[in-house]
Amino acid sequence: MSRAISTLWAITIIVIIIIAIGAGIWWWYASQQGGKQGGGQKVKIVFASTQLNPPEEQAFIKSLLQDFTKETGIEVDFVAISYDQLTTRLQSEEQSGKVTIDLIGDLHGGLDYFASKGWLTDLSNFPSKYGALSGRTFPKVLEDYSKLHGIKAYIPWMTATYVMVVNHKAYQYLPSGLTPDDVKKGTSKWTYDAFLKWAENLKNQTGSPKVGFPDGPHGLFVRFLHGFLYPSFTGYQAKAFNSTDAVKMWQYLKELWKYVVPQSTTYDEMADPLLKEEVWVAWDHTARIKNAIEQKPDQFDVVPVPAGPKGRGFILVIAGLAIPKNAPHPDAAWKLIEFLTRPEIQVKVLQNTGFFPTVKEATGKIPSGPLKVLAQGVAAQQSASDAVVALIPSLGAKGGDFKNIYITAFNKIVLNNEDIKKTLDQLYPQLIDLFKSQGLEVP
Amino acid sequence: MTRKSGESIPLSIKISNYVPYLLLLPTLAYMLFFIGYPLVEGVALAFFDEQGHFTWANVNYLLYDPGSLFWDALKYTILLAAVIIPIQVSVAFGLALLFNAKFPGKNLALYTVILPLTISDVAAGLIWYVMLGQYGFFNKLLMDLGVISHPIIFFGIKNMEFLAIVMTEVWRATAIVFVIIFAGLQMISHEYYEAAEVFGATTWQRFRYIIFPLLLPSLQAALIIRTLFAFQIFGVVWTLAGRDIPVLAGEAYYAQTTLLRPGVAALYALIIAALSVSVGAIYIKFFKAKYLEAGM
Repeated sequence: MSRAISTLWAITIIVIIIIAIGAGIWWWYASQQGGKQGGGQKVKIVFASTQLNPPEEQAFIKSLLQDFTKETGIEVDFVAISYDQLTTRLQSEEQSGKVTIDLIGDLHGGLDYFASKGWLTDLSNFPSKYGALSGRTFPKVLEDYSKLHGIKAYIPWMTATYVMVVNHKAYQYLPSGLTPDDVKKGTSKWTYDAFLKWAENLKNQTGSPKVGFPDGPHGLFVRFLHGFLYPSFTGYQAKAFNSTDAVKMWQYLKELWKYVVPQSTTYDEMADPLLKEEVWVAWDHTARIKNAIEQKPDQFDVVPVPAGPKGRGFILVIAGLAIPKNAPHPDAAWKLIEFLTRPEIQVKVLQNTGFFPTVKEATGKIPSGPLKVLAQGVAAQQSASDAVVALIPSLGAKGGDFKNIYITAFNKIVLNNEDIKKTLDQLYPQLIDLFKSQGLEVP
Repeated sequence: MTRKSGESIPLSIKISNYVPYLLLLPTLAYMLFFIGYPLVEGVALAFFDEQGHFTWANVNYLLYDPGSLFWDALKYTILLAAVIIPIQVSVAFGLALLFNAKFPGKNLALYTVILPLTISDVAAGLIWYVMLGQYGFFNKLLMDLGVISHPIIFFGIKNMEFLAIVMTEVWRATAIVFVIIFAGLQMISHEYYEAAEVFGATTWQRFRYIIFPLLLPSLQAALIIRTLFAFQIFGVVWTLAGRDIPVLAGEAYYAQTTLLRPGVAALYALIIAALSVSVGAIYIKFFKAKYLEAGM
């Protein structure tokens, strides 16, 4: 009996092994065949991107790139890569001279670093060499930023920013002298002081606070501190970290926090609290409030942030497309750049990822609806005459320390009620050291 | 029997002498690879810089950097364990005694009690986060019953967040303590109870002199498991309170993912490991079951 079973077992195992070997041979053969086909005629380019890395976004960009392949016959290998990995890979490829990456998609800060190292191709003569990018205009601010270290380092690809969202119900509590239109258009009356009064009204007249921020463990509130409040109150993100203006700013924030929903310290993104109406006025990244606008476009307005004594500070996130020096297929890469900056493609990107177009022509092509609401708010903020644009500093691995300094200051000053000046003075040397250690100017 | 040289021993016996060691070998290899190697790497990460030189930098960061929440994290981790574990053990003990009796619908009740065990800690945290929210089920229920007129705010206020964490953890992880104690209770032979009845022992005497001592090994196992988990508490805290209530494992995660300081994260991990080992040792020392020593 047991012998019969063991024979059966032996046969089963042998069959499994044979199947496995057979499958292995078939797979090897099939992949060889595929390799031959791909290598023969079609050009295949490598597109390494630190953006659009979440699975849904990857699925979207890959299907979009298939359209490109159909049109041009150029195959694109989209490589989702972290900034650290990209830096290491690009460095070794540039140093060894064997460059495999044809196109880089990365944030402004990262591209700035690559350009400073001389790893990027100057794109200024590409339009005349490989064909102009006709029918699209890039805003001046983006054109200016994309010229780095003496070269045209990248073509602006997508932008993102942070905005405020207002539930229509909140407008009836506006302080006197401030109209909903002031808020929507971002006029000079829409200031942080007015915002404070509004927040106070909301709390006192509705019975509970209605202003919220994403200060949860994965929230982006830290960006509000260094990229919005600091530039608006001191004119700089870090340079005037412990100045008298900064002390005034923290006093302001302490005052404001009395009228902020306490659950803010657990919010990672504001879409949910807005939809649940726990929060009526919120600040967050466009991608993180998109869901609320999409579900109830008639309920919310997307508005510019308020202005402070030094202007309307806000962060502009710019993603650009760059071609590494000595890249194998610059012509094909340029064709892909041309494809990705087409207005209709940029609208598709907005619809699927929440990143905003970099070409002016695209805004007119957005169908009315939630995205139009969003795009209008973003456009109003970017065209504000008192804009103080802040770019997220590219501190690489030290980015976490940078954020932690502002978070620590906030926790100590606002949540734990510690002395403002003392806390700031204690943290300031660390902050300056961060920039010094990376050889960067303090923004 | 003496043998002069190895030659006279038959090969089969020679091999069979080593069989116990051979049988231990896979476990040993497993431990070396999955516990020993990471431990060595952890120490290397925490105490050596990239060039391989010994450094106090991570320890200094942990103890003295204004951005480090180490002491708070240590305080809250121990505080949470100190509050949660006694509640869990007493509730589990009570439940186990209850389920040891026979009553209708026992099986259904048993499954209901054990159900939270199947839910991951993050999921449990999210469930309670929604339930305890300003407009969540909990507040709605109390308001509909007329107990409160304004919703109770749990999140953003440290003491309330602490309470929410305790509630969630008790709901989620009492089941594992319960299962262990319940199993231990069922293993106690009925002969003991019968003997006690013959001698006229009261309910309290039966509990004090039969159930409690015989349950000690189970209690010890449950306590060790619970305490070790308590020092690793993370998912529930992270979802309910973020870093408002810092805990050791949460700070390790934060150091690794946000600060990008693997050395500091490794140091936190080593501290958690050291705490767990020492508490485990204390339990083993003090909860040694007496009847085992008495000659079983």
